[in-house]
Amino acid sequence: MDTLEICYMSAGDLSKLVQSKEISPVEIIEAHLTRIDATEPVLNSFITLLADQARKAARQAEKDIQAGRYKGPLHGIPVALKDLYNTGGVRTTSGSRIFDTFIPTEDCTVAAKFHQAGAILLGKLNMHQFAYGPTGENPDYGHMHNPWNPDMVTGGSSGGSGSAAAAGQCTITTGSDTGGSIRIPAALCGIVGLKPTYGLVSRYGLSSLSWSLDHPGPMTRTVEDTAITMNVIAGHDPKDVASAKVDIPDYTSALTGDVKGLRIGIVKEYFEAPLDPQVRKAVMDAISLLESMGAEIKEVSYPMFNQSQAISSTVLMAEATAYHRDLLEKDGHQLYEPVRQRLEAGLFISAAEYLRAQQARSIFDQQGRRLLDEVDLLAGPTEPVTAPEILASKVMAGEQEVGVVGALTQYTRPYNINGFPAISVPCGFSDDGMPIGLQLAGRPFDELTVLRAAHAYEQANDWHTRRPPI
Amino acid sequence: MASQNQLSREEFDRLREKLGMDGEPAYLDELFTQVRGVFMMADSIRAIDVSGAEPDMAFIPPTD
Repeated sequence: MDTLEICYMSAGDLSKLVQSKEISPVEIIEAHLTRIDATEPVLNSFITLLADQARKAARQAEKDIQAGRYKGPLHGIPVALKDLYNTGGVRTTSGSRIFDTFIPTEDCTVAAKFHQAGAILLGKLNMHQFAYGPTGENPDYGHMHNPWNPDMVTGGSSGGSGSAAAAGQCTITTGSDTGGSIRIPAALCGIVGLKPTYGLVSRYGLSSLSWSLDHPGPMTRTVEDTAITMNVIAGHDPKDVASAKVDIPDYTSALTGDVKGLRIGIVKEYFEAPLDPQVRKAVMDAISLLESMGAEIKEVSYPMFNQSQAISSTVLMAEATAYHRDLLEKDGHQLYEPVRQRLEAGLFISAAEYLRAQQARSIFDQQGRRLLDEVDLLAGPTEPVTAPEILASKVMAGEQEVGVVGALTQYTRPYNINGFPAISVPCGFSDDGMPIGLQLAGRPFDELTVLRAAHAYEQANDWHTRRPPI
Repeated sequence: MASQNQLSREEFDRLREKLGMDGEPAYLDELFTQVRGVFMMADSIRAIDVSGAEPDMAFIPPTD
């Protein structure tokens, strides 16, 4: 089988071939290492590549499978983790040279679950420093580059995860999402990114940005692969104080292709915010398609959307500064300046203001839950624009010039505030060939409905089969 | 710390010196912009009626 064909196969398809022994994990890993060799000089997706370790694990997986010890759909499948997921014996930098030599002694819970499932760790992925930015810029390990146009950002903070999955460097990647850091690079790189409900996937062993807003989750090229990954990584973890004790379904059971009777709310405020007309059209076309497939579409209002940036930023900045306070005092001069500025600015938020933002968050949450009594899902754009140029501070959203940071997070932050599950799924391309994402959000712990709609939409299109020119 | 009044550069410099923050002029100019943003956010949140609402308790996870 052709190297590129292997690299662009989904985990769902690869796993069938692995189980039937038509392809070996060794072949899969070699194909991906070849692909990484060819594309990494342009993309810079990885901070640490684990070629030898991955080859060794692949040989072991091959041996186990040959001996009848098949572990399941991720056995022998390449996985790469954002470099703030602790990996025992493998350095974990959080995207900063300050932690260039930090080697954790144990795996985070997600890494341990991947290991148990037989997945093969290919490496640790580049990211915005300390996950504190939505673009994928990193002066310490080099900026990440969008596979659809390397002059453009990947989005962040999980930028390496977005580019690696989109360019076929890895089958499954992970991100963490505090203000959109899974869904932003997913949308801008043309892949699927799921921010699960807060508490569904363990945060144990991940460097934090904001305790109450952080959500680990999968980034893949297909919705099926996201469901397969969720089957492995979701579940209660006593090591995480915020981990939820809820029943974990088989997420692949949602992949029916059927949206008949699903009630989808279109949040009118999303379309009143600055929005590129090409993005608007792609998203409205996607919604029309869902309607033609049997979904009921209804306009709804989320008035507090307009306060979501202030609520989210206040909580995030206060918590991030609290988490990184010692680092800021000791090594502040080594931080990427925009990151240092955000951390220092957080010192100007008082406890009273932080708590008032958390009060407002409660009201925001209640308003969102009431909306989801009326409809099953909320739909809108993931991003108001396609990927901006690397290091740009402003971007045009239609005829309006807006700040990049605010624009990239305007539609994603609401679901960090209320913790609802939200997915970005590819829904088209701009005239200049850059991907556009549709965001679907659902009720807490109702990932099944989110995945059901995203999968049905995906299967009615060929957006997910398109490959970047690299 | 943030207030309803627009933060002046003099007030910002006084506060940041108290907090031990220093840097090149261009860095401090950008930080000043960020901090003004923090004050504007505080004003925006202050405008929300939060009476009766307790702070969100994200760390209390749901159970079966």
